[in-house]
Amino acid sequence: MSTSVTTFVPESHADSHHEEHHHKQNFFFTYIWSTDHKMIGLQYLWTSFVFLLIGGLLAMGIRYQLAYPGVEVPLIGKLLPSTIATDGIILPGGYNMFFTMHATVMVFLVVMPLLIGGFGNYLIPLKIGAGDMAFPTLNAMSYWLYVISGIVIVASFFVDGGAAQSGWTAYAPLSSTAAYSNNTQIGQSLWCVGLFINGLSSIAGATNYITTIINMRAPGMTMFRLPLSVWALFLTAWLLLLAVPVLSAAAAMLFTDLNFGTTFFAAQGGQPLLWQHLFWFFGHPEVYIMILPAMGLVSEILPVFARKPIFGYKAMVWAMVAIGFLGFIVWGHHMFVSGMNLTLAAAFSVSTMVIAVPSAIKTFNWMGTVWRGSIEFTTPMLFALAFVSMFVIGGLSGIFMASTPVDLFIHNSYFIVAHIHYVLFGGSLFGAFAAIYFWYPKMFGRMMNETLGKIHFYATFIFFNLTFFPMHNLGLGGMMRRIADPTVYDHLRALQPINVFVSWAAFGMGLATFIFLWNFIWSLRHGKPAGKNPWHSTTLEWTVPSPPGHGNFDKTPIVYNGPYEYSVPGMDKDFLPQDEKAPEGARLEVH
Amino acid sequence: MIMNKVTHKLFWLCVAIFAACAPDAFAQVRESNLYWAPECVTVSGKKVDALLNFIFYLTGAVFLLTQAVYIYYLVKYRKRPGSKAYYSHGNNKLEIIWTAVPTAIFIGLVIYSNRLWSEIHSEPPADSVKVDIVGYQFGWDMRYPGADGKLGKVDTALYSVDNKFALVPDDPAGADDFSSTELVIPVGKPVHIYLHSRDVIHSFYVPQFRLYQAAVPGRTIAWVWFETTKTGNFQLACSQICGSGHYNMKAPIRVVTQEEFDKWQAGKIAAKAAEAQSVAVPANPPLVAQRNVREEQP
Repeated sequence: MSTSVTTFVPESHADSHHEEHHHKQNFFFTYIWSTDHKMIGLQYLWTSFVFLLIGGLLAMGIRYQLAYPGVEVPLIGKLLPSTIATDGIILPGGYNMFFTMHATVMVFLVVMPLLIGGFGNYLIPLKIGAGDMAFPTLNAMSYWLYVISGIVIVASFFVDGGAAQSGWTAYAPLSSTAAYSNNTQIGQSLWCVGLFINGLSSIAGATNYITTIINMRAPGMTMFRLPLSVWALFLTAWLLLLAVPVLSAAAAMLFTDLNFGTTFFAAQGGQPLLWQHLFWFFGHPEVYIMILPAMGLVSEILPVFARKPIFGYKAMVWAMVAIGFLGFIVWGHHMFVSGMNLTLAAAFSVSTMVIAVPSAIKTFNWMGTVWRGSIEFTTPMLFALAFVSMFVIGGLSGIFMASTPVDLFIHNSYFIVAHIHYVLFGGSLFGAFAAIYFWYPKMFGRMMNETLGKIHFYATFIFFNLTFFPMHNLGLGGMMRRIADPTVYDHLRALQPINVFVSWAAFGMGLATFIFLWNFIWSLRHGKPAGKNPWHSTTLEWTVPSPPGHGNFDKTPIVYNGPYEYSVPGMDKDFLPQDEKAPEGARLEVH
Repeated sequence: MIMNKVTHKLFWLCVAIFAACAPDAFAQVRESNLYWAPECVTVSGKKVDALLNFIFYLTGAVFLLTQAVYIYYLVKYRKRPGSKAYYSHGNNKLEIIWTAVPTAIFIGLVIYSNRLWSEIHSEPPADSVKVDIVGYQFGWDMRYPGADGKLGKVDTALYSVDNKFALVPDDPAGADDFSSTELVIPVGKPVHIYLHSRDVIHSFYVPQFRLYQAAVPGRTIAWVWFETTKTGNFQLACSQICGSGHYNMKAPIRVVTQEEFDKWQAGKIAAKAAEAQSVAVPANPPLVAQRNVREEQP
């Protein structure tokens, strides 16, 4: 590829870097309304931790109710608002709020902001050799819109009637008709408003990422020299830009149905299935919006600790492009049994099977990456390696649902709950943990504690599997999702011990997260100083100090190599940074 | 290294916890068949099970194989003093193989799946028992044809307190239809159900039948039919979140012998006739006359 890349890493950045040393910006501009992509990335990170705690607490509530339906919640039961519980016993409507808000918080306020907002903002300019994002102010606005959306969504717990109860999928007309929704009209309306604002934040962020990656790469940083994480975030941004506006429109329509008497999604004068088509037209790309960045981040980490180039770089890129494209034509697989045309279901089944192919390609390439490596099992590597295995389980269980007749049996069962958590927790969140352990030294200049990290990994890995694997069995045993009390059904009473088991495993997983948070905070002051490049990595962010100064690079780096030149024969050290010319005698492979 | 010792200890501790907890917790629950699934009692359900079985073995084999290779690599290629990674950017031949092979498998699978899909949704046999099933917040109503063997026509705009099956008043076939709060069906006979909803989306879900279908307000879902293979008592569950009472939205299902069914049906028809004689025929619900009656079956 040619290297005709326009650079916008201007001298003014060197100036501002200079400036910082002379008169420091005040607290407000440094920490609150910062336009520095690194600070915004960290703001996203910290904020998503807060929502992770909220979402996790809601998950604990769900698991408590499923294990002990009708039993008073210990300790905090009496404090719960009357919309959720009476006398400390969770109401069915309160349970519905729990799972609705758990999913909404985790999807829109944790996984997306953490992976895309946090790592996207922090890493993109550093990895492409730019001083900042293309639109720093838009970037700050994007973060604050996210905060506002989070406040609106969480505040809905405290309004009259409580939060939305219709599931994060908000199927109409349950969600769109006040009379059907257990007095949660205000909560559901706030849900719409929150998602609309959240959508604005995503769209602004995506615009910024795309512009930055296309225009601001350092000289020599061709598209096929981009680290895979940047590729992943680039494609994710496109998916956001094309999918999120559809959700925003749908949320606006739902809002007017609820409040102004329109009937977009009503049975008479509208069409309930229209909501599902709109929602899933966003919702399925959304699945890839949440997994692609994690795939990219893991693809960065595996080569570093296997000391090997990523296997099949271009295949990885094209597989992600294929996933991005196919992601838009598979939404109907959520609707096989929704009342949609049966032949259409068969067609969606085909595209859904096809989209499994690029996922398989990626898995094989990850395995090819560790093959004949020299593998070091650091905490980030453990999470990255586990990501691959968990993604395999989540991918394979998806094949069951892609098969239309099997979906007749397992649709809306706990099998689906197991599947989504293998992809979203075992996939996206494991990827996020790997990334946090890996880039923490760059972000804060200190290493996280490895022993605590490993305890956190093993505890999470074990409890994760003990929590979510038995859910496959529950689903095949005929347990519906979203029921407040499984014991009302004859065939589920026999399965209740599994529900209790799963709940305790989930509590264990919840506790394990505190090991992580403790490690994160403790290491800020007490971690080992990291230096520029503690992992001996090749990409550009490791060529600057940890944490990098304002403007990132003192002078614009020039890129000579691909991002994964590890263990190049004929070299003394086992890695070749992207901005270093290959020394005499290095035998680089052209690929 | 100390770190490695910690890792090892933790690893074996985890293995021990897994080994100790998992089988114990599950063993007490169920004498397992392969899926822990409740016994399947429909003809089509058995075909679904066969397909599920097939996918289970297929994905199970892929899982075991990939994980075995993966773990083998992780152990074999772990960092050791003096070990050096092999420098390679990949292999195009391998890429082609592992693109082509999964593609072929998935295409085969989708053909298998979609053939069964259209078989399950083929035209219901003419001698099917017909039942109109209506979901509402939070329960089910069933409607069976009366002596004429025909279900009265439905216009989904007509659901009201007085007309809980939304019957079109000028269709005589509906006059003798009788209602029930339990689903009673004869074993070994095809049953053709029509699904309706009075308010929000509900779903007809019976795990023992391996059958799920959403009931959408404003629509008639007319393609679901099945044939049971065994008598017994089951529960119809709503499996689409439909509000605060969703978790308890169930109805009893009785699969009975043909004789028992005939007896039950005859009793219901007689009761309906007696009721019709004792009550003066009520006036049509007021809105009906102006309504545009759509051509919907039934």
